[in-house]
Amino acid sequence: MVNVEEIRDYAAGLLEKGEVKSVLGFRRGSASAFAEPCTITNVGEAASLVWDPTCLNNLALYLVKDRKQQAVSKTPDTRPVGIVAKGCDSRAIGVLLQENYFKREDVVVIGVSCEGTGVVDPRKLSAKLKGRTASRVTFAVQGSTSVAGGRTPGATDGADGINVSVYGDETETVIPAREVLADRCLECRAAAPALNDVVFGNTVEARDFNEPFHAAKEAERLSEDERWATWERHFDRCLRCFACRAVCPMCYCPECVVDSTTFVVTLGTSAEEKANRIRWCERSANTSESAVYHLTRAIHLAGRCIDCGECERVCPVNIPLRLLNTKLEKEAFEMFEYQAGHDIEQASLLSSFRDEDPNSFIR
Amino acid sequence: MEKILRQEKLREWVDTLDDCEVYAPAFADSVWNFARVEAGTDIDLSHTNTIGSVKAFTFPQREVFFRFEKKDGVPVLTPTLPDPKPTVVFGVRPCDGRGMPRNDTVFNKEFEDPYYWARRNKLTLVGLACNQPHSPNCFCQSVGGSPHAEEGLDILMTDLGDRFHVKGVTAKGVEAMERGRDAFDAVSDADQTEVDKVHETSRSYPQRPIGDLDAISEALRESFDSPLWADMAQHCIGCGICTFLCPTCHCFDINDEVISPTTGEGERVRTWDNCQFPDFTMHTSGHNPRGDLGSRLRQRVNHKFLYFVENHKTQQCTGCGRCITECPVGIDIVAVLERVGQS
Repeated sequence: MVNVEEIRDYAAGLLEKGEVKSVLGFRRGSASAFAEPCTITNVGEAASLVWDPTCLNNLALYLVKDRKQQAVSKTPDTRPVGIVAKGCDSRAIGVLLQENYFKREDVVVIGVSCEGTGVVDPRKLSAKLKGRTASRVTFAVQGSTSVAGGRTPGATDGADGINVSVYGDETETVIPAREVLADRCLECRAAAPALNDVVFGNTVEARDFNEPFHAAKEAERLSEDERWATWERHFDRCLRCFACRAVCPMCYCPECVVDSTTFVVTLGTSAEEKANRIRWCERSANTSESAVYHLTRAIHLAGRCIDCGECERVCPVNIPLRLLNTKLEKEAFEMFEYQAGHDIEQASLLSSFRDEDPNSFIR
Repeated sequence: MEKILRQEKLREWVDTLDDCEVYAPAFADSVWNFARVEAGTDIDLSHTNTIGSVKAFTFPQREVFFRFEKKDGVPVLTPTLPDPKPTVVFGVRPCDGRGMPRNDTVFNKEFEDPYYWARRNKLTLVGLACNQPHSPNCFCQSVGGSPHAEEGLDILMTDLGDRFHVKGVTAKGVEAMERGRDAFDAVSDADQTEVDKVHETSRSYPQRPIGDLDAISEALRESFDSPLWADMAQHCIGCGICTFLCPTCHCFDINDEVISPTTGEGERVRTWDNCQFPDFTMHTSGHNPRGDLGSRLRQRVNHKFLYFVENHKTQQCTGCGRCITECPVGIDIVAVLERVGQS
């Protein structure tokens, strides 16, 4: 079981010794029962760090933000950053290292193993509560409450139960973990961060949830017409708030192809050139434009998505975006035995070639 | 007009509105949202609040202003002023109801927006009082509203368990009730006592406090250059959730969408825009006066609690709490106001 005090002590130690300029972690927020990201810069703040099934965010996003800030700063602070990272988050750091976004010495990875469990999917929880709000979400502690379905032998705390209290009704109920864990956690292949400077919690191999790519495989069983109908409906619902792009650590392009700013304007640019600029995607949130946006984003993440599921989590209308990305990761795995972010020494999928790769047309 | 409607008679009333497009909350894809009610189907008013606000009925995310094409080398414009069927929306929460007159002001004060009003004039809002807050982030009472506020609504319904108390607030609302008159019963003294009690209880639940709203406006004015903004926006990802879900955010963009470059055919469209996006204030020169997330958070908050107050004498926030609940990183407008107020 992860002892949050150890994480706090380690973070405080890094700050005290001046090994990092800040530590990215989770703290309790005022907005909900779910933890919020925090950046701590002094030892005293380390006591506010938390670890529980509400630590949803992939904090690697803020490593990207830090690099972007350094790039425009006249006096950049180039000291390393410490980061609390789950298995999936550490793979995101892995991809960023593979792509030379920053160097290994720029980051201190405070790994936390999700052990036999993972994080809660707020939408699944909301569906269970029919839209009501949870006021407290914690791992069920062994022995304190009877857990529906019984305990898996050898499972660590939380593996088969999440305690939930509902706003306005403080009685606590235990929901079996598999009913509210995020899909990515149910399919997780590496719940302990392989890339780390320290790891808290045990590595649990047998998790007994779903096989990898389970949801993508299920979605593939539908016919082409059914799949198109499904995605047409989802793209039609999209608000184009771009939260999926904004939250993704891999969507680090300074200018996105779907933004209207991707057009260089100089003093010599004529009105006609401005009017006739190429727009790959209109502002209108309709089915065709939103399809262009989501499919472009999915393709740009092929071989790069590490399945942190953040795009799907943040979607306010709950579009199952993760399916698009895991479908492509499944292709990468089945065709090239490639898993994004698993090995930082490996060349990235799209920049490498092996003789044994399938599709002979390329030779 | 005040009436009692038994739960089982709700459908009977809705069915009398058969020449209208009727919308009501529906729980699909794990979120509540307004959905079209097909004739003869039941509506479910057990909702919390819808994820999208009611503003989209008058200010849709995409509005076509006109079509254009080139005929024999001459540009031809075709107007596309909307002419919707009368629309009745059930289950509107009082916070969303209060958003409507604020949007009316924006789309009327200096210029009467014909697209907005073509939809608005055909719209009837049937509100549903909140017997208790749905979320810890509800704060309607802290911004001058109440869980049973009638402002902006045409009808206010209150759930009394086996029946609803239904009050016609505007002439449009009374007319909608008249059409279903056979479904309604008279209000007894006992009913009146009960509805008063439900309303009183609904106001008694603790909500997140903001304090003196004038003092907040003043604090915001003085905090324009405060380093707090950068600090509070430190984890902002710059997405559009907070403003797109907001019942009062109304900023838009206008673009020409070309369908065929050869015929010069296309549409001029208005789409929702968003002060959190980097290109919102981007100048054609490339300069961006709000180049960082702190200045964008400040704009969102100042617009609601300072600029709108200066221009229209009321806050442009009705306390629905969506921007707080749905923020992926926990940015909380009430906490922001609290910090600015204390600074």
